[in-house]
Amino acid sequence: MKRMLQRSWLIFIVVIAFLAGLAFLVFRTVFNASDWADQTYNRHISGAGGFARAGAILDRDGEILAQTVGDERIYHQDSSVRKALLHVVGDDSFNISTSVQSQYRSQLTGYSFIWGLNLPKSLQSSRDIALTVDADTCKAAYNVLKNYDSGACVIYNYKTGEILCSVSTRSYDPQAPPKITEENEDEYEGVYLDNVLSSTYTPGSIFKIVTTVAALENIPDIESRTWYCKGREDIGGGDVTCVSSHGSVNLKQAFGHSCNIVFAELAVELGQEKMTEAAKKLGINSSFDISGISTKKGNYNVKKANKNQLAWSGVGQYNDKVNPMQMAIICGAIAEGGTPTIPYIVAGASGDILPDLSLLGNGSKGKNMISGETAQKLEEYMRGAVVNDYGDSMFGGLTICAKTGTGETVTGQGQDKNDGWMVGYCIDEDCPLAFASVVHGSSQYGYGTAGQVAKAAMIQAAKSLKAR
Amino acid sequence: MTVIMDIAVVALRMLLPVYTIIIVYQCYASMRRRRRPERPLVLLQDLDTGVKTPVLFWENSIGRSRGSDIAVDDPAVSRNHCVLLRRKEGWFISDVGSKTGTFVNDKRIIRRTQVRIDDVISMGNKDFVFKRGEEFHEELHSSWFFSKVVNKPSIKPFKLLLLISFFHIFMGVEAVFADSGTDYTPVMICGALVAVEWIFFFVSSVILKRISFEIESLCLFMTGIGVMLLVRQTNGIRMAVIQLVAAVAGMIIFCVIIKFIENPDMVTKWKMIIMIGAVVFLAINLVFGKVTNGSANWISLGPITVQPSEFVKIAYIFVGAASLDHLQTRKNLIEFIVFSLICVGALALMGDFGTALIFFGAFLLIAFMRSGDFKTIIFAIAAAGFAGIMVLNLKPYVLKRFEVWGHAWENASDKGYQMTRTMTYIASGGLFGVGIGNGYLKNIAASESDLVFGLMSEEMGFIVAVTLAVAIAALVIYARSVTTRSRSTFYSISACCAAGLLVIQMTLNIFGATDILPLTGVTFPFISSGGSSMISCWGLLAFIKAADERTYAVKVKS
Repeated sequence: MKRMLQRSWLIFIVVIAFLAGLAFLVFRTVFNASDWADQTYNRHISGAGGFARAGAILDRDGEILAQTVGDERIYHQDSSVRKALLHVVGDDSFNISTSVQSQYRSQLTGYSFIWGLNLPKSLQSSRDIALTVDADTCKAAYNVLKNYDSGACVIYNYKTGEILCSVSTRSYDPQAPPKITEENEDEYEGVYLDNVLSSTYTPGSIFKIVTTVAALENIPDIESRTWYCKGREDIGGGDVTCVSSHGSVNLKQAFGHSCNIVFAELAVELGQEKMTEAAKKLGINSSFDISGISTKKGNYNVKKANKNQLAWSGVGQYNDKVNPMQMAIICGAIAEGGTPTIPYIVAGASGDILPDLSLLGNGSKGKNMISGETAQKLEEYMRGAVVNDYGDSMFGGLTICAKTGTGETVTGQGQDKNDGWMVGYCIDEDCPLAFASVVHGSSQYGYGTAGQVAKAAMIQAAKSLKAR
Repeated sequence: MTVIMDIAVVALRMLLPVYTIIIVYQCYASMRRRRRPERPLVLLQDLDTGVKTPVLFWENSIGRSRGSDIAVDDPAVSRNHCVLLRRKEGWFISDVGSKTGTFVNDKRIIRRTQVRIDDVISMGNKDFVFKRGEEFHEELHSSWFFSKVVNKPSIKPFKLLLLISFFHIFMGVEAVFADSGTDYTPVMICGALVAVEWIFFFVSSVILKRISFEIESLCLFMTGIGVMLLVRQTNGIRMAVIQLVAAVAGMIIFCVIIKFIENPDMVTKWKMIIMIGAVVFLAINLVFGKVTNGSANWISLGPITVQPSEFVKIAYIFVGAASLDHLQTRKNLIEFIVFSLICVGALALMGDFGTALIFFGAFLLIAFMRSGDFKTIIFAIAAAGFAGIMVLNLKPYVLKRFEVWGHAWENASDKGYQMTRTMTYIASGGLFGVGIGNGYLKNIAASESDLVFGLMSEEMGFIVAVTLAVAIAALVIYARSVTTRSRSTFYSISACCAAGLLVIQMTLNIFGATDILPLTGVTFPFISSGGSSMISCWGLLAFIKAADERTYAVKVKS
């Protein structure tokens, strides 16, 4: 009989294996339950595209951006606001995966692992989600952006981190989503992508901010130097050109006039190592977490670049790529003396017994990007560019520091397709906003396209901010 | 007003898991009670030295080997010399092929010979006097299961059953309110269920005069949950009635098997007949099998369909187990291996890979308990793996049935349909469930059998589902704990292996439905809907019940 007891350990192993499996199942369930529950076929939440029980989404002033009425999901009453905020709010489908309705679906439907989808209605508190965005500002940005092929505009408060405006085009009306077929798919190309977070563009001259940072932090006598711009210069066996001859310029003037030759030469002088280091410190090749969504990484990679390519990389061409949100954060860092406040878009989600952990990070600081001294210099240069080159009246009384850029993507006789940029921030105490706007596929310069978007959005944002 | 009602509903739902845990705990707590203290049954006193060796078990191996229950240190004694065993008629000794022979009062024994108090048993150069157990005065070390045993039951059996009946009535009431609140058929089913529970209790304690009712209580509890989960299914009332009728049949078979195996020596004579019967049954299945869901494991007998493989499980455990003197005289497993090959092969031919796997698992357990030979196990696993690869090479379509395994979410609309729904509704139920009849998994095919773990989770909550799974797993711990107190190795082997088989089956059921293992379509013991499965579970339970020495003890008025 003793032997029987000894031999029965094999059966014990079966039980231990089973219990281990059960522990694994419990583990998997705990960590995946909300994904498992969030299925369109789940009949506990079906109807209104799975939003039958979902709460509302509100903007910073409490305006309802989306809510469930009866069996239907109703979006904002203004079609421009609906289109402007499509990528932030989302639609009935899950095609826009970075939208709040996709990312925060379980919060909206009131799902919790403890209660499942089971808590009686009367015991549920509202499951509304409040966003930081301002509907009017987004509408203003959209109304200019819609005139161009596609683009993006983001504005955030660099002191608190709140995102006031996040608009991506192309867009459509979530209340009447288009049926995308083979015939019209060109028209809706990239429409499910939030260009603010998930796209990168050729930066053009706005990348001179990076080159300037590298120069200021690595070349001691840089501010006492002058250059002579003939409008064309052979660097590394190829021409680098400017729009016109800028004549004799110092660094500040070169920045204001956006002189390609100066920055191309600086890039070559600094070399790939120092340029890459500056790009890395400014977070070009990395990603930021915006309310749980990662931004697309930009690209600065000159490992295989020859001298001419390195030169072009210093003025934001070659294979350089940046993301709009990333550029807004860099501007926010300059405004804050070198260390950015990381933006966020979800201000609050009610209904959970425990507060949402992701909200605890709201308003947190990112990694230091540049020294306070460099930040001050950059502010001076960017302010100078507005005052001397773009015209201070452009922003209707706001004190703006900015840089425009035009990233050339397709060049050819009369077929130029550029990525036009304007990035910057407002230094007024009562309007601490950083912005980045980009317009893709226009033949004009950044000032004429993205500049107009930024202008309309910033003026409205300042108005909304002061009205509160 | 509605708020107060809703709070009450939520509070009740939170109570349900606590209630479940209490019931399961009480069932197991009672299993340790009312046991005899660790005392030697008899003892052997060495004639030369006067040393007393206690005899603790109903069947004791005696030999030079250190693993023997009574080790005799004498070079003339064989490693496995003889077996001293207790039967209804008294104590017997049986030589198991020793070289030098075993002697009772100087007469060499040939077959099993009765020994009486003060008889002298001799082997090798040793002589032992057979004495009463009372003459042993030293303290004995005993395992945790038997130490500090209280003679009072932890809860009176009828109170435990009352708790269980209330649980089922609660489920019935919940089912009424899940609907319009006007259809009272669930309560009628519930009434019938409770009646069955109490009749069974009456039969067990009054007619059969059994002391214990814990294991039956536990399985009645689960059977009842299975029945009540059915009432709100489509066509559920009919299924619930069938399930209940099958459960009654199962309980009858449970009692019949316990009676049938009362004498472990008689059982041996039936072994061949049962084996042939099982093979014939499987052969009929192979010829007349009805193909459902890709496997032909059903046969129609007039209006009812049965799954022969379920009944063969009982026969399989039966054939596999044996008493200690049989184990030691006939060591080879050939007969059993051939029988196993036929069973597993027939099931594989039917396409019922889940049950084939259960049989293979049970084979490993039985083979190891019988022989203790690790090499046999390794060899069997290797052979099975080889055979598996052969099958996959010859019939690649078999692999297709398993290709969705681990990829349920990528195939959510076709092959992963059942698994993804199960996981979604498990999550939707949360920890406390949405209530009987309020779930949606019930609309998915096989939710009441293959996916029943999901159905339980959704409607009764994840805690209840996990608790019941652990309760089944704990049957093994119970079966293993009573091993040394079984009246024969026949019971200890059959109990451990029956419990192991139930756990393997449950493992395949739960993890198959949740995409951790391939979905093989086997049932969750006692809870899944299915008449054959229900009967077979109660049949297997009989082996576990029989292993407890209290089962055959008659109630004594104190």
